Amino acid sequence: MSTIVKFKIGMASCGIAAGGEAVLEALKKATTLPIAEVGCIGHCYAEPIVEACLADGTSVMYSNVKADEKSISNITNLGKENRFEIPAARKAKELLKVLALAGKIVPTDLNDYLANGGYDGLKKALEMKPEDVVNEVKLSALRGRGGGGFPTGMKWSFLAAKPGFDKTVICNADEGDPGAFMDRSLMESVPHQVLEGMLIAAYATGASRLVIYCRAEYPLAIKHLKIAIAQINEAKLNVFGDRTVDISIKEGAGAFVCGEETALIASLEGQRGMPRFRPPFPTDRGYQDKPTMINNVETFGNIPAILREGGENFAKTGSEGGRGTKLFALAGDLKYPGLVEVPMGTTLNEIVFEIGGADREHVKAVQTGGPSGGCIPVELFDTPVDYDSLRSLGAIMGSGGMIVIGKDRCMVETARYFLDFTHRESCGKCTFCRVGTTRMYETLERIAAGKGCEADLDMLEDLGKKIKAGSLCGLGQTAPNPVLATLRFYRDEYLEHVNDKKCRALQCNALVDLALDKSKCVKCKLCIKSCPVNAISDDFVIDPAVCTRCNSCLDCCPKKAISRVAKGE
Amino acid sequence: MSIEFFLDGRAVTAEAGQTIMDVARANGIEIPGLCGEKRISKTTSCFVCVVKDKKTGKFLPSCSAIPAPGQEIEVTTGEVLEMRRTALNLLLSEHNGDCEAPCTLACPAHAAVEEYVRAAGNGDFEKALKIIKERIPMPITVGRVCPRFCEKQCRRNIDGEPVAINEFKRLAADRCYDTYMEDLPELSGKKAAVIGAGPAGLAAAYYLRLNGVQSTVFDQMPAAGGMTRYGIPEYRLPKNLLDKEIAHFSKMGIEFSFGKKLGENIQLDELKAAYDAVIIAIGCWQASGMRCEGEELALPGIDYLRNVIENGCTAPNPGKVLVVGGGNTAMDCLRTSVRLGSKEVYCIYRRTEAEMPAEKIEIHEAKEEGVNFRFLTAPVKLEKRNGKLVLTCQKMTLGEPDASGRRKPVPEAGSDFEIEADTVIAAIGQKTCAPEGVPVDRYGCLAVGEDGVTAGNGIYGAGDCVSGAATVVEALASGRRAALAVIRDLFGTPIPEDNPINVTRGKWQSMTKDEIVVLRNDLADYPREKLSFIPLEERKNTFKEVCSTMSAEQLASEVKRCIECSCSDKEECKLRKFAGEAGCKTDAYSGMRQKASYDVRHPEIIQDRGKCIKCGVCVKICKEVVNKSLLSLQKRGFDSCIGTAFDQGLPESCRDCGECIKACPTGALDWRKKR
Amino acid sequence: MKPEFDFLKSIEPDPGNLIKGLQLLQATEGYISEDGIRAAAEYFKRPEADVEGVVSFYAQFKRVKPGKYQISVCDGTACHLKGAPLIHEWLYQELGLRPGETSPDGVFSLETVACLGCCSLAPVISVNGKVHGKLDRKSMMKILKEYAAK
Repeated sequence: MSTIVKFKIGMASCGIAAGGEAVLEALKKATTLPIAEVGCIGHCYAEPIVEACLADGTSVMYSNVKADEKSISNITNLGKENRFEIPAARKAKELLKVLALAGKIVPTDLNDYLANGGYDGLKKALEMKPEDVVNEVKLSALRGRGGGGFPTGMKWSFLAAKPGFDKTVICNADEGDPGAFMDRSLMESVPHQVLEGMLIAAYATGASRLVIYCRAEYPLAIKHLKIAIAQINEAKLNVFGDRTVDISIKEGAGAFVCGEETALIASLEGQRGMPRFRPPFPTDRGYQDKPTMINNVETFGNIPAILREGGENFAKTGSEGGRGTKLFALAGDLKYPGLVEVPMGTTLNEIVFEIGGADREHVKAVQTGGPSGGCIPVELFDTPVDYDSLRSLGAIMGSGGMIVIGKDRCMVETARYFLDFTHRESCGKCTFCRVGTTRMYETLERIAAGKGCEADLDMLEDLGKKIKAGSLCGLGQTAPNPVLATLRFYRDEYLEHVNDKKCRALQCNALVDLALDKSKCVKCKLCIKSCPVNAISDDFVIDPAVCTRCNSCLDCCPKKAISRVAKGE
Repeated sequence: MSIEFFLDGRAVTAEAGQTIMDVARANGIEIPGLCGEKRISKTTSCFVCVVKDKKTGKFLPSCSAIPAPGQEIEVTTGEVLEMRRTALNLLLSEHNGDCEAPCTLACPAHAAVEEYVRAAGNGDFEKALKIIKERIPMPITVGRVCPRFCEKQCRRNIDGEPVAINEFKRLAADRCYDTYMEDLPELSGKKAAVIGAGPAGLAAAYYLRLNGVQSTVFDQMPAAGGMTRYGIPEYRLPKNLLDKEIAHFSKMGIEFSFGKKLGENIQLDELKAAYDAVIIAIGCWQASGMRCEGEELALPGIDYLRNVIENGCTAPNPGKVLVVGGGNTAMDCLRTSVRLGSKEVYCIYRRTEAEMPAEKIEIHEAKEEGVNFRFLTAPVKLEKRNGKLVLTCQKMTLGEPDASGRRKPVPEAGSDFEIEADTVIAAIGQKTCAPEGVPVDRYGCLAVGEDGVTAGNGIYGAGDCVSGAATVVEALASGRRAALAVIRDLFGTPIPEDNPINVTRGKWQSMTKDEIVVLRNDLADYPREKLSFIPLEERKNTFKEVCSTMSAEQLASEVKRCIECSCSDKEECKLRKFAGEAGCKTDAYSGMRQKASYDVRHPEIIQDRGKCIKCGVCVKICKEVVNKSLLSLQKRGFDSCIGTAFDQGLPESCRDCGECIKACPTGALDWRKKR
Repeated sequence: MKPEFDFLKSIEPDPGNLIKGLQLLQATEGYISEDGIRAAAEYFKRPEADVEGVVSFYAQFKRVKPGKYQISVCDGTACHLKGAPLIHEWLYQELGLRPGETSPDGVFSLETVACLGCCSLAPVISVNGKVHGKLDRKSMMKILKEYAAK
């Protein structure tokens, strides 16, 4: 067996949150070999991950590494414990193109990136005429990865058509969908790849300003980007002949609506992030009233490969409804949550079950596109995932959040959750969105509380359609989707809530009691001690009037004698 | 450079820079919109102005969208109107304010209460009377006998007593009635016959005359006034005052013909032939019986009262009196009996005092005058024994609420007892006695269409004969509606409807004082002015009016108790106007309203955030036109609002230019113009 | 501008840099005070009312001083599914705090955030930026105790 020459440790946000820092410290104490702090390989469930790179070029990975001596020595001695293999099903289905270098290279090391083909795409672009670069992107049939799915090449051509160089290209890194983290991972793990895509765009469209609008909640991404920008400036990678492109980062301040182009621009200009009526489109009048184009992080992440391998080659991957690969942030009720990259057109079955390892018996639906998207029931999981197929089901691709919903989740509550989010994130400008989403949210609250009626369901559908039609921006135009989709596929669950006052998932607290099965109870009194509101009497009776359904007793009961039951049963 | 496109299929031309709304307007199509304001950059907020692009199926805000060549735009399709209505309904659902004050909404005649109270309180009685008579043409009478629907909903009740609204009416009428004369338009030549000279008939004739139609009022009795003359006792409404009030109608040129009873000496067919319209307002003059054995031995209440009135308030002492019933007529019978010298007067009522339909003040004054009440008592049998009347009664208990919401009285078995009396009066209720040929419904009332007054064939109905026995103010309102329906049918002029949109912050019963008093910071907190009554002995022995009219000084003090609930912008508010036109409903969507957040710190300007639609026009006006930037949009989503720096209110540097007020589509920003 | 806000001078006084300035203000002061708004308005040449409008629009900006430990409960979709509402309930029971509140002793303050991007570790909270994942009641109480003892 070969010897270890180097360690790699996943130190993206997910790795750090899982305890990567302590593992790094422990590893530093245990070895003198170089330790590379790399990004995320997408297997978040296995973090912290340490990879021992061997002299023969192969490597051994360890997952869920702890910072204790035993775990560390297991690694330094290439022990058998906690070895990590990428699940075979996933390996077979996944196609790593955008993520090819994520978790493999040191994000803040320009040379590491260069050594792995980094900036070859830019180099190639600079050898071409700008219009040919735009053409190459058109040939790739790449569509915007931020949600809208607008053809990227066409967008570039609009900006390129504007005279002069007083133009701006913006990278939208305000990844606002709760449950999506593709962009964060890319910026943390391969910041140079994103910046290379942006530089190519600047060259192709004649922009002399690049601005990254990034969520302030992503400090590590911002840090890595800042380092990378400094390296670019130093290496003069942003100098195209006599033209120098200025690159800057602006941090968002927490507003989902700023994912909307015109709102994002307002925010960049130091204003409230409220969308405005288009036209004029940003390519005519955008940031600081100058022609502006906005692409999403993942879109830029695709660009270097398009230039390296050519647009036509790029377009060979994928399906009719979308070309290339797509990143998905898989989360929810499944075994292997994390970041995956698959060719467009891969079915939900493949993603959720084969890659995500979800339990077929347990899955009810998947939510794509976050709060703007819709749920797709498990019966329709043979749907290929691309822009058009998802839209036909009332969902959207969105930026790539994919939440697996288990059978023990209530769809009314799920819809309520999303509307809670969107109605609070509405900027408040348009009547339909501001008041309409609030009314929908309140109605869902009522239904979840067992106070709804059947007419409420018709009202939700009617108002939902009107909100979509009567809103200025994408937020309002998609906000009702989670409700409309759940009403379409799970109307029976709604009907149970309004007619029978029942929540089959036993999730809606107002329709649920906690019950103690005395035949299982061993009178250990742990439940009584755990109850924060003293709802359990000395003879183990739970008072439903006092109980807050917090599940503390249920969680601590060693005999599982306590369960959630339908109210009054 | 101009382009051509289509509005509802019609080819139109747009000049460069014109919005769809601009072009529509130029072509005679008004598209409603709340937030379009030419002097500032586009706001595109309210979405009331949406139109539909037929090809893409997208709805566009027409205030902002520039038409494309050949674009087909739908402006007035049902779908587009429905979107507009929904936008307005949503705005109404978050609107937190009162379009009209609760007193005005409660008034059956929809009189502009707050306005006449303010005018009279400020000493301008002429103006007050003018406002009153727009809806109440018998203010002397109503100022005395009205059960005061308005006062019951007055939010000042939160302090125990409402503003003495009716007293404003009474004093304004007492002061100016004689000298006041309406502007009378020329007569059109059309003529109407009004049958019945009670309040409904008088009001119908009055509003017909104000609209140029001459009418003749026929009545079976020898004088006009109907129940106000023959039903209401002198001590509540002195007849010399009623004469004065009715004389005005003659002064206006209205003709009267007395001693004419429909179906007897005048016939409907003849009237229909001789007049362009016939309004039937014959009232409810037939008393209902007690529905028990021997009921014919009881005097009908209204007949009893009429007899006393016709005899100049003289009649033999009725001895011991039992009045069966709990309404205002029963109170009138009881108190009239006291005045006729009866020493023992009893009210027999089958429920408790709480359920009594009579006015609380009437019950109170009857008690003061020595009337005895026997609650939870129902008559079973009336018989004559030894020259005396004997009423057998049974005790009742209250059971489940019935259809009216009142708890139903249930007899107690074996609780029968007898009361002996000299006079027994049945004041149970009244019915219409419609002559043959008059269409009636299953209750015996005049049958009318949905508008409440049109009976067809040129016949209209008004007052008690349509509604069943009700109040003077309701009869006046009904008479007005009938007159306006006649005008509509004769001349094609639509009835000027009150705006049906009335957002309200609620009834005082479910509000706290802090919620109630918001727009005034100088509200008087002293109690209601007191009426001065004549001495009790005089009350019991004469038919003199019980209390005198309040003084101007008293009203000047009372007006300071008025909260002035209504919106200062109710006449100009675009939201209310467009919502009314679009057929909106204030309760189409229910849910949280905007927080009431009234700012009256500025000496001249009210900022009433509950009425804000968040269009931000004021912000842009202040920034882009006035160059001040004193206002800004704050927060976001449902909570977004217009605010000032550090919530300090409009600062001294605001030069009161009023541009924001002019631009505000609602009453969210307004002058404090009520002062 | 009061001298204590001189640190703003590290940013160009361009009106478009207001948000950047406010972020610096909050990073320095822990929240945005009235004086901070006045300083930013003056420095970035923006009306005070306007600055208030911007501050109140973005979730990041706090107008009240936060506690020593700022607990951010992630209510992203994954965390919500995995029990974020229960976390709120537990925190309320333990600390008596609802989102937006600070404990009277100034130790803890609580907020809800949209998504921390650590969905695979759901449910998560962050305390002063440090993420704690895969929480249950027990582990969360332990974390609280550790911070309280610091």
